[in-house]
Amino acid sequence: MDDAARLPAPRLGGIPGIDRLPFELFLIHEARLLDARRFRDWMGLFTDDGTYWVPAVPDQSSPFDQASLFYDDRQLMQTRIDRLEHPRIHMQTPPSRTVHLIGNVIVEEADKAAGEFLIGSTVVMVEYRQDHQRVFAGHQHHRLRRDGDAFRIIQKRVDLANCDSAFEAMAVPI
Amino acid sequence: MFDGTPDEIAKLVEPGRIHRRVYTDPDVFELEIERIFGRAWLFVGHTSQVPNPGDYITTELGRQPIVMVRHRDGTVRVLLNRCTHRGAKVVNERRGNAARLTCLYHGWNFDTDGALLAVTMPEGCAAGFDTRNFGLAHVPRTGEYRGFVFASMAARGPSFEEHIGPMKANIDDLVDRAPDGELALDAGMHRYVYRGNWKLQVENVLDSYHVPFSHASTVNKKGEQFSRREGDAKGAKVVEKDRTADAWKTRRSYIVGAGHGWTSNTALDDSKRSSPAFDEYKRVLAEKVGAERAAQILTPRLHNSLIYPNLSIMGLNIHVRVIKPLAVDRTEVTIYPIRLVGAPASMNFGNIRLLNVTHSAASFVQTDDLEAFVRCQEGLRSQMTDWVDISRGLGAEEPDRETNATRGSAMHEMVVRAQYRAWVGYMCEAA
Repeated sequence: MDDAARLPAPRLGGIPGIDRLPFELFLIHEARLLDARRFRDWMGLFTDDGTYWVPAVPDQSSPFDQASLFYDDRQLMQTRIDRLEHPRIHMQTPPSRTVHLIGNVIVEEADKAAGEFLIGSTVVMVEYRQDHQRVFAGHQHHRLRRDGDAFRIIQKRVDLANCDSAFEAMAVPI
Repeated sequence: MFDGTPDEIAKLVEPGRIHRRVYTDPDVFELEIERIFGRAWLFVGHTSQVPNPGDYITTELGRQPIVMVRHRDGTVRVLLNRCTHRGAKVVNERRGNAARLTCLYHGWNFDTDGALLAVTMPEGCAAGFDTRNFGLAHVPRTGEYRGFVFASMAARGPSFEEHIGPMKANIDDLVDRAPDGELALDAGMHRYVYRGNWKLQVENVLDSYHVPFSHASTVNKKGEQFSRREGDAKGAKVVEKDRTADAWKTRRSYIVGAGHGWTSNTALDDSKRSSPAFDEYKRVLAEKVGAERAAQILTPRLHNSLIYPNLSIMGLNIHVRVIKPLAVDRTEVTIYPIRLVGAPASMNFGNIRLLNVTHSAASFVQTDDLEAFVRCQEGLRSQMTDWVDISRGLGAEEPDRETNATRGSAMHEMVVRAQYRAWVGYMCEAA
């Protein structure tokens, strides 16, 4: 038997007693809104102080002292979406078509009293526009607050595998 | 056939138009790599990127890999990143710190001033092998002004002072905004690529004519762009009754030779600028330099400056942009946010936050320009119309005594014509 096989059986992730299914359904719902280009409804998933963050370097510790691909509060999200809905947004004429695939959903932290949860997952987004198709892949973290049967997003963070590479223009959120 | 003779070059550029081949011909591109990027003073990096001995960054000048490193004696060296043994790139990371630069292949070991310190298994060296002949090559000429490091791959040519002199005031305009009088390029970077020629980006940085059209989707119903500076309640008014706004039309462009130039008039009301972060910054700045000087600094006269051929300094929402040609139809651009040393962290965050939405690969503004560059590159495949028109304002230039420059309307194409005069100069000069 080699050394690795002598290690104790791994502790699977997740939080005992917390079902991941409602979270998974929420993430699927979010992905479907983005693929349907229902950006305004997507923004509606965020809390008033919610933020959407896509770091520009691996393990980026803060959006405040380093550049990010996206770091939108609700106000910037609103400007972004006004623009996405503008008839003369040239870089979306024709628009991108996207396919999001969400997987490996796991509850990483849970504060039942506050109704707050940190959900880890992986995302693959294929984007097609005008004869060019490209793939974005990353690990994402949603900090969620329970809101009735559903959730609100306090922060969505997407760490792309190629976050520090040079990108062609990006229009739509991951 | 294209041999790159002065006759052939001269035929590509006329006073008010340029031949499409300057954007599409791979032979012209190869010649640019040799005669412009192999010769001109190019921006390499900023000393704040390598604050300590052994700190380095790697990049390319033209297509040549280089490493900018701070030596033990405090000087910043610009070295060819190529082992003198079998040619491997010695430093592989984009940035880092190393006491020695060691080649992965056979373990040759270089000092941070390029000197070859040791060869592994020296007993095998040929008779007469002298380590002194095998140091990493230095870029022939380097120059620095207020932290901005430039290098020229040519041993001869206009001096650093001649090249950069007329643009020093533009660098000062930015650096003086830092309460401690220095900048730090330590807030990461934005990187983007586009399927188009490098000159499309260079021409664009001083083009005010395109804004109401290319960036239409960034303009609200009142004709104002979104706010792009910390402390601004609204952005510049660029559209009025479906036309370019009068206020926007009054902007001016300036040229000073060598392809350099800038645009003025931010079209914003500096007296109304206020936010907790901005007010605190203003207070700290006034404390350091005095209220009168602070007021001067906070009424910027510059929007965007171009130090031809590869550096643009944005005075509006502050940043530094470096343009790198990859192929005739492919270009990479790096944008560094600027930290004003001595300014409150909240002010620097304001700059970083707004730069994310104006110039990241996922931004609201830059992405429209990238779409325009790609469409230019595609449109320029047309062979029936070989000429690109750059004649707006031809003959309307006038001297500007205050800045010792030539000025024109920013709605004109004087700056583009100036860039092509410099281009022809580089391209026609024999090696």
